[in-house]
Amino acid sequence: MSIAIPSVARVANGAAPRRRPYGRRALAGYGFITPAIVFLIGFALLPFLFTVYVSLHDWNMLTAVTSMPFRGLDNYRYLIFEDPLFRQTFANTFVFAAGNVAISSLLALGVALLLNGEVRFPTFWRAVYFLPYVTSSVAISIVWANLYHPSYGLFNGILELFQLPGARFLASLETAMPSVIAVAVWHAVGYYMIIFLAGLQSIPLEVYEAAKVDGANAWHRFRSITLPLLRPTLLFVAVVNTLGSLQVFDLAFVLTNGGPVNATNTVVLYMYQTAFNFTRMGRASAMAVMLFLVILVITLVQLRLLREKE
Amino acid sequence: MNIVSRLVASLAIAAMVVGACTAAPEGSKGPVKLVVLTHWGDQALLAVLQPIFDEYQKQNPNVKIEHQSVAFDDLLKRITTGRIGGSAPDIYHFYNLWMPDFVSSDLLQTPPGDVIADIKKGYSQSSVDGSSYRNQVWGYPTEVNTYQLIYNKKLLQEAGSTKPPATWDELRSVATKATKKGADGKITQAGFLLLKGWDSGVVHPWSSLLWSNNGDYVAKDNSKVRFNEKPGVETTQFEVDLIKSGAADLGFTMDDFAAGKVAMTIMANWWGAALKKALPDNVGVAPIPTNGGAQSSTLQYNWLWGVDKGTKQGQEAWKFLTWLNGPQAGSSSPMGKYLTTALNAIPARVSDQQANASLLGDAFVKPFVDSLKTSRSEPIIPGAQEIKTVLQKQIEAAWFGQKSPKDALDTAATEANRILGEKR
Repeated sequence: MSIAIPSVARVANGAAPRRRPYGRRALAGYGFITPAIVFLIGFALLPFLFTVYVSLHDWNMLTAVTSMPFRGLDNYRYLIFEDPLFRQTFANTFVFAAGNVAISSLLALGVALLLNGEVRFPTFWRAVYFLPYVTSSVAISIVWANLYHPSYGLFNGILELFQLPGARFLASLETAMPSVIAVAVWHAVGYYMIIFLAGLQSIPLEVYEAAKVDGANAWHRFRSITLPLLRPTLLFVAVVNTLGSLQVFDLAFVLTNGGPVNATNTVVLYMYQTAFNFTRMGRASAMAVMLFLVILVITLVQLRLLREKE
Repeated sequence: MNIVSRLVASLAIAAMVVGACTAAPEGSKGPVKLVVLTHWGDQALLAVLQPIFDEYQKQNPNVKIEHQSVAFDDLLKRITTGRIGGSAPDIYHFYNLWMPDFVSSDLLQTPPGDVIADIKKGYSQSSVDGSSYRNQVWGYPTEVNTYQLIYNKKLLQEAGSTKPPATWDELRSVATKATKKGADGKITQAGFLLLKGWDSGVVHPWSSLLWSNNGDYVAKDNSKVRFNEKPGVETTQFEVDLIKSGAADLGFTMDDFAAGKVAMTIMANWWGAALKKALPDNVGVAPIPTNGGAQSSTLQYNWLWGVDKGTKQGQEAWKFLTWLNGPQAGSSSPMGKYLTTALNAIPARVSDQQANASLLGDAFVKPFVDSLKTSRSEPIIPGAQEIKTVLQKQIEAAWFGQKSPKDALDTAATEANRILGEKR
């Protein structure tokens, strides 16, 4: 049986410190993370730095990168002070994010609580709720656009059955954004339901049993056990859902193309239009940088608020 | 064989393969590859287009044509990203509204003198204008589209109208009579269709009405827009009135017209093939209704073939385009044949229009061909695409009652003049 000699003892005995095993382990570690680091640098950091660089220039993507004229902060100044549509798209994006995050998170939690109880065929129900999430958002947008169609859409057909006046859904200034949010919620609920379900199942049953022994009813158990122990999951859902909602593009693009009259135009959709329809890549890059900063601040605030009681 | 020898041998083979795959430089008699980019990817279109390319390759065995196609919405993106990525095609088929950006970015090759002479001689002036920017022709005009009043014959008859409306007053009256509402007050049949959410769908019919009301889109020297003057405000007010009276419902779409639920709309000739299938023998076409005694006019837009300035195959590219757009033994050019038979479009070349007179004499197409005599090219101005989108949004703001027609057009004009100033 060999006895491990502490390195301090070995130094004291006049032996040189043996760094090789540690260096080899470190090398192996670096080797393992190298692909991820290279990926991050190549596909995240460099494009981001290039975006910041382009945002300070005027570029239509048809001329060489080396010949684009420098504009300083002009693109930022224009967007902040002179472009009312940019401010409107930011407001639209926040309305969408607030509606989608609140409704889809609450619904997902509700469904997760139901499926965490004693239901028949739980696997079947989980699959049913998860199915929309694995369906292409473009495909579901096309289907929902038909469901919403004022003349032959299913929803107006149902309203007609009950002799209720039809709605214009995506074609009305008032109902377009709620209609887009409804599709987003339907699409996302299944995914967050699975996350909540995993969080619920990680809560030890013994805690509930102890609470029951102490006479806590279902509401007390939910408020005093489930919610506090679900805090990390809530944090994850809030952050990820907000990040995704602030970057919404596909639903607005396919369902309404930002209309009617920009009522559903979002920052990313406007960014896309500015870059590829108007070939103003400098201005679009400035939008991307500003959206990044806003998302960064919101995420930090969320992390702070939800972690402070940990 | 040691490792070094294997490496040298591998590099030699790789160099040979790369050499074989690389197109020969200009002037060489080696194989030439021409990459042609279009937005014609539909199988029915390719069934006519590909044999034309095959025929040219048969006649020119040293030329290989690689046809790349993307959806219309992706065409400009493909051109810009191809430019950035160094994979620009040799030949583009593009919308003439993009010409100012392409020219100012040095994207296009100037056509050779014989090509310019051929274009100026063989095409109508409006098509030459539509393919020119800064007094320079940039490529072969291909398809021409104009806008006309398209109506459902049966619904107009039911509304008591024996002929299509020729003036705005008549249009307003017929549209109101042709509108039907259900018991719940919901419009089940619209008298007139105004398309929304699509810049060309909004602005092209609006411009046609503007010009048929003695209005102007832009000043002759392109220094500023003029669409916010009195004729433009009247045009927008006319459309707003149609909406307020219920004769035009913004919830209706082109599908509703094809389903026989709309009496009239203003649309381009490319819609003809689909309409003939959806409403056989029930679709009529008439000139754009006028106002204030103006002459009926309409918007015309063109597509054209251009050659990338960076191509090494410029000479071969223009030779191919000359063949593609040139009359064949006194008959239609291959392009003219393709445009009339596959695309149901109007060819820009005058001899193609004559050679395909039987197809262009069709009751649906003929009014569009006739309208070329009085049509006006969509203004080819710097930032044209962006200005069109700005105008679309403001016209829609007036439609939805967010702004008065005057305020909406003034807002659009301010923004448009700023864009013109920036991009000039």
